[in-house]
Amino acid sequence: MNKEKLFGEISEAVVDMEDELVEELCNKSLELSIPADETISKGLVNGMDKVGQLYEEQEYFLPEVLTCSDTLNIGLDILKPHIKAEATDNSIKVVIGVVEGDTHDIGKNLVKIMTESAGIEVYDLGRDVPLNNFILVAEEVGADFICMSTLMTTTMMGMKTVIDTLKEKNIRDKYKVMIGGGPISQRFADEIGADAYTADANEAVKRMKSMIAN
Amino acid sequence: MNEKERLLKVLRGEKVDRPPVICPGGMMNAGVTELLGEISDNHNTDLDAMVATAIKVREIIGFENYGVPFCMTCESEPFGVVISEGDKNNEPRILKYNDSNLEEIMDNFNPKLSINSRAQTVIKAIERLRNDEIPVIGNITGPISTSTSIVDPLKLFKMLRKEPDKAYRFIEYVNNYLIEYAIKMVGAGADLIAMSDPTATGEILGKKNFDKFAMPMYIKFLKAMKETDTPVIIHICGDAKTIIDSLNSLDVEALSFDSIVNMRFAKSKLSTRLMGNVSTLLIQNGPVDKIISITKNAMDSKVDIVSPACGLGMSTPIENLRAMTDYVKGSI
Repeated sequence: MNKEKLFGEISEAVVDMEDELVEELCNKSLELSIPADETISKGLVNGMDKVGQLYEEQEYFLPEVLTCSDTLNIGLDILKPHIKAEATDNSIKVVIGVVEGDTHDIGKNLVKIMTESAGIEVYDLGRDVPLNNFILVAEEVGADFICMSTLMTTTMMGMKTVIDTLKEKNIRDKYKVMIGGGPISQRFADEIGADAYTADANEAVKRMKSMIAN
Repeated sequence: MNEKERLLKVLRGEKVDRPPVICPGGMMNAGVTELLGEISDNHNTDLDAMVATAIKVREIIGFENYGVPFCMTCESEPFGVVISEGDKNNEPRILKYNDSNLEEIMDNFNPKLSINSRAQTVIKAIERLRNDEIPVIGNITGPISTSTSIVDPLKLFKMLRKEPDKAYRFIEYVNNYLIEYAIKMVGAGADLIAMSDPTATGEILGKKNFDKFAMPMYIKFLKAMKETDTPVIIHICGDAKTIIDSLNSLDVEALSFDSIVNMRFAKSKLSTRLMGNVSTLLIQNGPVDKIISITKNAMDSKVDIVSPACGLGMSTPIENLRAMTDYVKGSI
């Protein structure tokens, strides 16, 4: 089978949430000795990009995106062990979590899924994260981004506390701070001095990539 | 015209002198930190404290109703989740979901029997608050939000795609429990029921899933309430554009929306009464003159009931809330 055709089928199978087909096609790619990293980026991730597109266009919603990401992971589990070991030090690293006092993590998880599927390394701190942990983990892993989310007006100001603490420690410039969540707006991001706000997960990934490119 | 007459008249579509200004309770409650100052016990768990807080919300802030409880966790608590009971600074919240599969949960918990102690406290509080002049609101967390408080939302959302029948049965089972609970509230003296279903937004579910999994539950819930002759207000979070036509088909006394929804637009699309939608972020941060102008804007948009747009932050100053209620009552 033609390599490009196989990639196209894998991509489509991710969009259509066809778990078994993805499994079959990814195994086939290995039998044909197609490099695993190529199948991942041109097949699986390409499919997830389309999912992101459909999400932006409001064709797909959260249930669909989550299901597609499961399909994607089935493929990744098959292919990842076959990737030739490379230095991964250059990869973009993101620390992400829902700020202290809030347990609503749907949006955060969506950003995590979309970010990971774009090949970015994600350190997920979970929900109700003590504010200082964002900084501790970011320092520990040498993160590029600190991403914070909240759905509640009550806990929004925690984001400012993290940014202020970064400033106090004189490490503000080491990180790009991105924020998001229901009550968050660009205006709020400007007010507290965050580097970026995005309204949805797909845009968040795009923004991360463009910020790193600059 | 007393407060109860005014609110019930509005919900029946009858003319009144001015819109009522209310804060129903539940997700949308005004049990803010500043108000809780002198109340010694936890208002989320202790009967006396719960009743006292409901009364203070009206007397000190000026909202024209009593409403209990002050959180969204009473509904999911009996189904094997771990919750934090909250305090004067934090609302109760889910700490750990029930990891069992949906069938096990449905087998292991009998919703008729599992009116747990806190739900019972809410019902007793309603009994204590019932009166002839001030409307008492029983608050219910909606079926999608309660279901996704019992099990991990991501798990249930995936099931909407992969195992839709199973997911539906579970949400229906939860909805039946909510109906039982609401009927007990009505029996205790609740004049109306306010249901908040913040997770059931068009943005999260999309119209197809909303129509398939949320709408049938609301229809059934509303039918049961109709049988007890109890008006219902349903609050939906987020931008409701994609689901507004579906909502218009509901036989509900009023709909409430988040501040992102333009009420003039909603008014043009909906035949029922509207409640809302003063930005809770604005109420938290002020300034007072802006709160007044946004409250005026809500009234100019012909909302039938003035209320906060969503859940209030616990650090919201009483002064800011008071500006909103005073303005509606015409004293500023």
